[in-house]
Amino acid sequence: MKNQNVKRKLLAASLASGLVVASLVGTASTSANAATTTCISKIMGPGGKAAGQGVTINAGMLLAMTGGGSFFGDVMSKGAKLAAEQIKNAGGFNYKIQIADHKNGDVPTALTEVKRMVSQGKIKVLQTSYGAPSEAIAPIVAANKVLTINGGGSSPGQLKKDFLWQNRMLFGDDPTAGALAWIKKKFPTAKKLAIIGTQENGVGAQTTVAPEAWKKLGGTVVASESHDVGATDFTSLASKIKASGADAIITYSFGNDVGYQVKALRQANITAPIMGIEFTANAQEIAGDSFDTFNFATDFYNVANPNPWNKCFVKEYRAKYGEDPEYYGSNYYEQVFIYWELVKRVIAKGGNPNDSAQLQAELKKNPTFNSVYGGDAKKIGQATFVVKDHSISKPMGVFSVKNGKPVLAQGIVKVAASANPNTALK
Amino acid sequence: MNLDLVAQLAISGFVIGSLYALLGVSFGLVYQTSKIFHLAGAIPLAAAGYGAVWSAKTLHFPIWLSLLFGLAVSVLIGALILLLGYLPLIERKASLLSLFLVSLGLSVAFPSLLQIIFGVNNLPLEVYGSDGALKVPFENPVYQSGFLTITRLSIVQLIVSWVLVLIVLFIINKTALGRSVTALRTNPAMASAVGIDSRVVYLVIFSLSSLLMGVAGLLVTTQFVANPTMGLQWTLIGFIAVFFGGITSLGGSALGGLVLGLLSSLSGIWLGSQYAPIVVFTILFLTLLVRPQGLFGKATI
Repeated sequence: MKNQNVKRKLLAASLASGLVVASLVGTASTSANAATTTCISKIMGPGGKAAGQGVTINAGMLLAMTGGGSFFGDVMSKGAKLAAEQIKNAGGFNYKIQIADHKNGDVPTALTEVKRMVSQGKIKVLQTSYGAPSEAIAPIVAANKVLTINGGGSSPGQLKKDFLWQNRMLFGDDPTAGALAWIKKKFPTAKKLAIIGTQENGVGAQTTVAPEAWKKLGGTVVASESHDVGATDFTSLASKIKASGADAIITYSFGNDVGYQVKALRQANITAPIMGIEFTANAQEIAGDSFDTFNFATDFYNVANPNPWNKCFVKEYRAKYGEDPEYYGSNYYEQVFIYWELVKRVIAKGGNPNDSAQLQAELKKNPTFNSVYGGDAKKIGQATFVVKDHSISKPMGVFSVKNGKPVLAQGIVKVAASANPNTALK
Repeated sequence: MNLDLVAQLAISGFVIGSLYALLGVSFGLVYQTSKIFHLAGAIPLAAAGYGAVWSAKTLHFPIWLSLLFGLAVSVLIGALILLLGYLPLIERKASLLSLFLVSLGLSVAFPSLLQIIFGVNNLPLEVYGSDGALKVPFENPVYQSGFLTITRLSIVQLIVSWVLVLIVLFIINKTALGRSVTALRTNPAMASAVGIDSRVVYLVIFSLSSLLMGVAGLLVTTQFVANPTMGLQWTLIGFIAVFFGGITSLGGSALGGLVLGLLSSLSGIWLGSQYAPIVVFTILFLTLLVRPQGLFGKATI
């Protein structure tokens, strides 16, 4: 009896201590969150029932969390988590994230994970990544009406698919004309192009878009090499590029592969300009000083953009993670706000915000959303989905890496395949 | 045929083949002694790279000390894998399949552990200079003769790999340790009867194998970066080299690695780079079909 009383007292004391600690933590986090709430609330308007407060949206994320592409999964999830936190603290919906790992683009794994998230996780929206897995899951998200957005490996195979949208310009295809036109403008004597890529994404750009655009610019393609995603030894590929006599190179590789590739090309004493389709800190670490000769063309995300929403985003991202965001993180951050905007629209019409068919219908009615891209010091940028094919229209740019940092060299736009590539230069 | 291209691909093949040879010998050592498919050999390889990077950046070690630290970490981890992972199972007469599953599990879990501890980003090997700033420790100039190029660190890789391979071959073929390994491999019961302590032999062999993997890890890290998945990819190549060259011959494993490197590089004369793995596995399959003991192994009755 005495022992039981002692145990009861200990238990009561523990519970009381726990409550005290929890309330202190709660107070502390509320104080810390006040800054976040103010930043987003000023830009996105007041929270409350009309803004989805009290509504929980089960959201899935299909990312590369392990393997060579884990950098992508890391930054993408960081962007989305920050957005979810900001929106909830601003009186918006509760965006409940479940993250699934497609193991660096493994399609069977992606299919299994999405089926699990749909059936067991009851997700209503999905943020996906990579080209092949996203193409593979398209029938699943359409059949189960899960509104899905890809801000990473966008590809032509994902276009015009019900419930699947892209908030990144098409990987490879969209920036190619402008990228090659910039090479020709900056290196007018370049005539012989070598093209490098993988079978994972950008295949159309490698086999069709780039050769046709380069031909219109008066050049010829002298080499076209593909490699496996995740390759680290590019010495043979570099030797073949060198033997081809190429005086310009465009690569549709991504992730760490770019770093190994650029390093191998420069160590083979190839001095031709190299144009890529993305920049990652990881690739730069691998390539070291070799990356200071690297150029790339992609969605024009600028950390220093004075767009008020971008300033809020960058400030909060730095505070939470201790590093600057880049365009992948920003795309997945924006996606959550796109979902929030759609939820608000559905609520305004008295609809069910957990019905993704209604969310998609609202997206199609008004495909323009606020963006951390573009804009200026006085106004937020805008990005507009292309309803016809579910792609997006966003600012793009050619960047050159100088002293380890990307510097904007030229703004570019998407042009039709039949157009003169020079019209892609802004 | 472009002879310059052939010559450059041959040079590249020798360079990468030297690393494959080192890996092949490392795996061959463990397999010949214990019959274990030591996939967990990926762990000492990655551990050496991370050990060097961490000690240089956090403990401010000079480059030579951070490299030694990395090697020490790889040897220690290799010994721990044996003592805590394999030996308890060996002493319980566990099957080779059980040992393989333990090895597989460790090799799959370790990259995730590295990600948790060090993050997902690539980590370059940098040391503090006299001005207090981090800098790359090695200059890596490119030497060129006409079309042909090779970097300084590639030359270092060639020399270090083959010197180590020769040292290991000498140890196994000409020393008491080598005789103990042979005895343990051919007749463990008799070896024990004549006083050979299998635990000591295993410990020495695993430490030596881990040292070789650690050197491979440092060669990769100094030329590129340390990253969580760096171990497994090279591990699989080491396996292929062992079976290709001959599981009964360490020298065969080394030559198997070299031939693998040359084949995967020279196949680029006719095929795209993405076909190199197909070429390698096809030749491995055909070789084993004709010579199951590998190119240089001895047939067993």
